[in-house]
Amino acid sequence: MAVRVLIVDAKPARSQRLESALREAGFDVLMTVDETDDLSARMEAQEPDAVIVDADLPSRDTLENLGQLGRRYPKPVIMLAENEVPDMARDAARAGVSAYVVDGVAPSVIRSLVDVAIGHFQAHHQLRNELKRTQQTLAERKAVDRAKCLLMERHGVGEEAAYGRLRKIAMDRRLSLSAVARELLDDGR
Amino acid sequence: MGSDGDDSQPGPHGVEIERRRVTVGYVPLADCAPLAVAQRLGFFQSEGLEVSLSAEPSWANIRDKIQLGQLDAAQMLAPMPLAASLGIDGRATPMLTALTLNLNGNGITVAHPLYERMQALAPGSLAQSPVSAEALAAVIADRRARAEPPLRLATVYPFSTHAYQLRYWLSAASIDPDRDVCLRVVPPPLMATHLRAGWIDGYCVGEPWNSAAVVGGDGRTLITSHELWANGQEKVLGVTAAWAERHPNTHRALIRALLSACQWLDQSANRAAVARILSEGAYVDVSASVLERSLTGAFAYAPGEPVTQVDDLLVFHRYAANFPWRSHTLWYASQMARWGHLPAGVDLSAAVQQAVRPDLFREAAAEVGLLCPDEDMKLEGEHDAPWSLETAGGVIAMGPDRFFDGTRFDPWQPHEYLARLPVSSARASAG
Repeated sequence: MAVRVLIVDAKPARSQRLESALREAGFDVLMTVDETDDLSARMEAQEPDAVIVDADLPSRDTLENLGQLGRRYPKPVIMLAENEVPDMARDAARAGVSAYVVDGVAPSVIRSLVDVAIGHFQAHHQLRNELKRTQQTLAERKAVDRAKCLLMERHGVGEEAAYGRLRKIAMDRRLSLSAVARELLDDGR
Repeated sequence: MGSDGDDSQPGPHGVEIERRRVTVGYVPLADCAPLAVAQRLGFFQSEGLEVSLSAEPSWANIRDKIQLGQLDAAQMLAPMPLAASLGIDGRATPMLTALTLNLNGNGITVAHPLYERMQALAPGSLAQSPVSAEALAAVIADRRARAEPPLRLATVYPFSTHAYQLRYWLSAASIDPDRDVCLRVVPPPLMATHLRAGWIDGYCVGEPWNSAAVVGGDGRTLITSHELWANGQEKVLGVTAAWAERHPNTHRALIRALLSACQWLDQSANRAAVARILSEGAYVDVSASVLERSLTGAFAYAPGEPVTQVDDLLVFHRYAANFPWRSHTLWYASQMARWGHLPAGVDLSAAVQQAVRPDLFREAAAEVGLLCPDEDMKLEGEHDAPWSLETAGGVIAMGPDRFFDGTRFDPWQPHEYLARLPVSSARASAG
């Protein structure tokens, strides 16, 4: 029978992708709950075999308590006795994901569950960083364009000359083009 | 956390600090103040340390990261080093504490509908001070007679000061915490929301979350932990035994820095400033005005009620607060045994001896000329009022250490104490 997984995550975009990846890997995803839900009640109603939780959420401690209550509740993977667990737990902690699993789930199954989760949490981090970089590049380009216009107006020169001026200041002061542009725009305010 | 590499440098006390850059974990609560203050006011720096503080959302994160070596040291709940050493909290990892960060700071708060029912059934018991759980016992009996589901009460972690304080308070009124109520864990910042939603009926949590619930109109505090067990141990600085062994000088430097921070914190004129440091520095995501109530002891038990000045709501330094009394942790250990949380055959005193290290504290305290108790244990519940502790070096002014029900804990005879307790679930495991 497929391992029944509950996800605790407050980022819907990520948890939706994680849900489908887990299903593809043969897991049965019961539901995703976030911080606005009554996790204890959900756990009692759903009785999952495993829980994947965003380690940035304080709800982990709710799961810790359930894990102490007896065999029907999942326990933190760090408590499992297998030798490879510290590595798995370390990788998971680095990726910001925690896993809880009931007794009796095969170690290889736990490994694949945790690996899928780690993969998705890392992919989400990367995606977010890329998005941040793209937004930053766009903002920088816009600043340079606006600084160019400012110089064109102020000195009555053409676009190319304005750009040359901007570049010269940047080179003289060992600053990036966008830093000089932002300074000019701030001064011009 | 940096590598162990060329990190070592002589510190201000002339001894080499094995590891200058250390990462210390904390949970965003009012009593993370010693760590925030040590960082903000440069106490870590004056000890030659470069500390980065890591805010952790859960105690489970603190435990994992310490056990995996991703944190050097961390603020912990007093029972945590012992629970981890015994292998009941995470992987069996010998851990220890040589510094108590604060005393007191918790409270038991209930939802208004529950309070109204308590008042209807047992108004007399609510008029007593400190409030006992007798009115709650009356509600529990009434609910049982009407076949209503058990009350749901929350704490913050299975091996928490809060859980053992709540259990103690309940059982003094003959309420069996494992049978008569449903005990849950809810993260502190979510407590008030859960109370408002009716998902829980009450909780035991640390400041600022009782004050926040009262200010927000969500609940009513019945008793503070200071009333429950005066000047009981709350948070400690925890490290693994292996880390302490490899970095004895770094450990002592951390303790010295935090001692300076705690000393500064217990000058009452500084408490309002601390509230601002915690709020504006984003150490705790709560308004400075609510944090100021917790830190200055301007405590209100119920919405709209006048503020009571509770000077010892949070104690960071006075009354030898930072000294890691083995009797403090042994009391928690006795409660762990009482509720069947310890593996069979554990020698309580020996386990506490390894997990709580007043000897290491004394070494650090001697370097800053701080007076220390000569003994590692004291009778708990012996003093109803302030008292004086004689030591070889002089007298230390101590605060009361009474339990609300007037019982006394003799740490030299934990098993006799256990045998006398009214409710307990697993005497067999007290071994």
